Order: sequence, then C-alpha cells, then structure tokens
Amino acid sequence: MKILLAALFAVVTLTATAHAGLPTDQIKATIDKAQLVLRDPRLKPAAKLAERREQLKQVLSGRFNFAEMAKRSLGPAWSRRTAQEQEEFVRLFTEVLERAYADIIESYIEEKILYMTEKIDGGYADVGSKIVTNKGEEYTISYRAQLVGNEWKVYDVVAENISLVNNYRSQFNRVIAKTSYEELVRRLKDKNEFAGAPKK
Amino acid sequence: MNHTRTDILVGIFVLVGITCLGYLAIRLGKLELFGSQGYVLTADFASVAGLKPGDPVEIAGVKVGRVEAMTLAEDKARLTLRLNDGVKFQEDVIASVRARGLIGDKFVLVSPGASDKIIPPGGKIRETDSQPDIPDLIGKIVGGDLTSKGDKKDDSQKK
Repeated sequence: MKILLAALFAVVTLTATAHAGLPTDQIKATIDKAQLVLRDPRLKPAAKLAERREQLKQVLSGRFNFAEMAKRSLGPAWSRRTAQEQEEFVRLFTEVLERAYADIIESYIEEKILYMTEKIDGGYADVGSKIVTNKGEEYTISYRAQLVGNEWKVYDVVAENISLVNNYRSQFNRVIAKTSYEELVRRLKDKNEFAGAPKK
Repeated sequence: MNHTRTDILVGIFVLVGITCLGYLAIRLGKLELFGSQGYVLTADFASVAGLKPGDPVEIAGVKVGRVEAMTLAEDKARLTLRLNDGVKFQEDVIASVRARGLIGDKFVLVSPGASDKIIPPGGKIRETDSQPDIPDLIGKIVGGDLTSKGDKKDDSQKK
C-alpha cells in the first residue's frame, strides 16, 4: 500500500513538474519578483511611490515586450509610421499601460497566483493563471508569449477572456478611422499628462 | 410542324426554369458544385456559441470569407474558415466572434495586425478572442459568485 502511494506521489509530482515548462517558469519568476518589490517594506511609504514604480517597471519590462504590445495594438497603421514615430508611440503606449495598470498590479500584493495551464505551439506559448483575491474572488489571466532567443516575452495579457491588445487595437483603430493618427497621439499625450498630474 | 415548334419552345422554357431553380437552390443552400474557391485557415476559440457554418468572416464590416466547419479540438472550438483568394491575414490578426446588435446573427470579426508575416493557406490564426458570456456574468451578479467565496472559507480553515 505504501509503495503504491509512493508511486502515485511520484507520478503526481513528476507530471506536475513536467507540466510547468519553461514559459510558465519564466513568467512566474518575473511575477514573483514584482510581488517582492511590492511587498518590500522599504518601498511601502507613499513618498517612495515613484521609486517603487520604477523598480516594478524594470522588473516587468524584462519579461513583457511593450514594443510588441504597442505594435500589435496599433495594428495596420504601424507599418505606415516612420521608425521615429513608432518609437514615440511605444513610449506613449507604455506610459498609458503604466497609468492604467499600476494601481491594479499594486492591489495584487497579497493575492495568490496559481499557474494552471501551459500550451506551447512553435515559438508561441499561452500560459493560463488564476488570481485568487483576499476576498476569495477568482480571476483568470492568461499570458501570450513569444520566444525571443531563450526568453519568452509576453506580448498580450488576456484577463477574463478580454485581450489587452485587442481592446486597445479596436479603440486605436476607431480613433484613427474617425480622425487621424496624429489625433490619436495627441489624445494619448493628453491622457498621460492629465492622469499624471494629480498623482505626483 | 407547328406542334413540334411549340413543343421545343416549351421544352426550352422548362429547361431554363429548372436550371434557374437549381442555381437558386445551390446559392441559397450555400453548396459548392465546382470545387471550393479561396483558401482555408483554422482558429481555436474558447467558445463560439451561436455561430453556424456558413456565417460570414468580416474585416471592418466587409465579408472576406465564411465559416466552413466547426469541430471540437481539446475542449476548444476549432473553426475552419474559407477565405477569398485576395485576402491576406497577417500573423497577428485577432479573430473574435461578434453579434450584430445585442442578439443578432453571429459573425467572425477579424482585426488586421501589424506583422509583416502572412499566415499561409492551411495555417492557424493564433490570436482569438471569445466574448465574455453575458448570462455567465449575470449569473455571477444575481446568484453570487459561489465558486470563489466558498473556497476562501475552506482555505482559511485548512490553514
């Protein structure tokens, strides 16, 4: 009986380790690091907010490919822009993401994150995770990643079946179709300045 | 002599009528007689509830193909899309199942991407987006989120 249990245990642990492959490990490592930054008591005070966000950004930017996110979010309009414009757009888009998600990410300090599924298909991977909040609510979040060299870089985050890239792409395309790319850039700049002012 | 002429005319008329009916039947039934045109891509969705084979595939409201088949692949819905020949999909297009109006007909909306790579015929659309299930969301609000609230208590007791 004991042998049977041991064998069963071995099988379970083996499948568990085999199940968590490279993309999940890399994404988990980054998210864990981000949580460490958030939990760091030295960075807790409100005065250290800017420093904390800077560290957070550095941790996340190693794993999350913001340039690719920006490119995918802009869609067909991307190839019509010059290299300089593309660079500016990536910067603006990253700022927008920061403003939109910093508060949300910071509220996830104590949450439990479970990594559920992983699917690799050629150079692409889909890692499914679940966030369990302190109140016991569950949210599914999956990361879409692309293999760049040896690193899996996340290019889309799908929260509760809503893709971040698709959400921004439809918004950006609507603005561009109604007005122009220049107007979109102006609006993004406005948003960053406006949102940035009261927080600092 | 006159009789034969009328007979021939009636014969031609009937033949034309049957051809027209046949054509209509093929068009309305969306059958294909002379082999399929265009090329095929597949896409996996978490859910395609309400979609039927034959429903259109659209970019910005313009039909560029149709849903040819729907099968189940590892708990996901795998759509086979037949697309018109001139249409090219970049590697990062996003396909989503949408409805016209709140309860209207379903269709597959494709939003063009920014990649230089084109998905080859027979390839797969990697990015798909399944709409959140409205009854599911309403259920969570009306009935309460049973799955999660209960778990939390159990967890704390276990610890």
